Amino acid sequence: MYPRWNDLDQMFGAMDLLRNRMGRVNRLFTDFDRSWGFSPGWTTANNWPRTNLYDSENHLQFMAAVPGLNKDEINIKIQGNYLEISGTRKAASPEGYAAQRLERGGETFFSRSYTLPVDINIDKVQAKLKDGILTLNLPKSEKAKMKKITIG
Amino acid sequence: MSEKMEMMTQDEQHPVAVRKAPTVTPSVDIYENDDEILLYADMPGVAKDAIAINLENGRLTINGHRKISSDGEAQFEEFGEVEYERAFSVPQGIDINKVKANMDNGVLALHLPKSEAIKPRQIAVQVG
Repeated sequence: MYPRWNDLDQMFGAMDLLRNRMGRVNRLFTDFDRSWGFSPGWTTANNWPRTNLYDSENHLQFMAAVPGLNKDEINIKIQGNYLEISGTRKAASPEGYAAQRLERGGETFFSRSYTLPVDINIDKVQAKLKDGILTLNLPKSEKAKMKKITIG
Repeated sequence: MSEKMEMMTQDEQHPVAVRKAPTVTPSVDIYENDDEILLYADMPGVAKDAIAINLENGRLTINGHRKISSDGEAQFEEFGEVEYERAFSVPQGIDINKVKANMDNGVLALHLPKSEAIKPRQIAVQVG
């Protein structure tokens, strides 16, 4: 049986279209909201911020979309294979203005924690914040690294 | 008709859709005072030069492209490459030449100053 990719494509295309339409009508889906039905970490109810995790040979790469946050407003804690990010997102409300439309949410506390697939070498973790995306480079601990064994 | 043949004709009838980044609407806050309308839009991951703002015929459109430079195999992915897009109707009396935009930590701030003609004015009552 040949898989009919066209059929699948069309189905997903229709779902995307529906998602966009719904997003436009009642703004239920205001961002790329595909987590494919599983929750990677413990989270506060609003599932904020959105996060990604990538695994390569020697390190993990963690990303969080944190628009509007400064670097000193984000707390990152790591122990072994436990990662926690938390902070408070300030309300933007400028003084002397009347709000016409508010979708971004007021002041919110957020906290999400993750069990990473491997232990991390904490001393070599690098964090950077650019255009509202926090990126952590998490080198795997020596013990956790995959080693190639040659058959003698 | 053989299955393969059937598949080929189907391919011809429905060419494979070009995969492109999904389009999403950014969340916005809109504020107003006597001097201007101020719009904030959350667009994390959009660089300053990947954003386009157009104001034409009373219609304001914001477009931004988010690229993700990931490294390794995805374990979970809650956000990805997207095309941010949103349009607004702008009320009359906005001074188009003085519109200012800046991007800070993935948040777009757009200042739309009102033209002098529509600003509220206090009229002093003269005695006499």
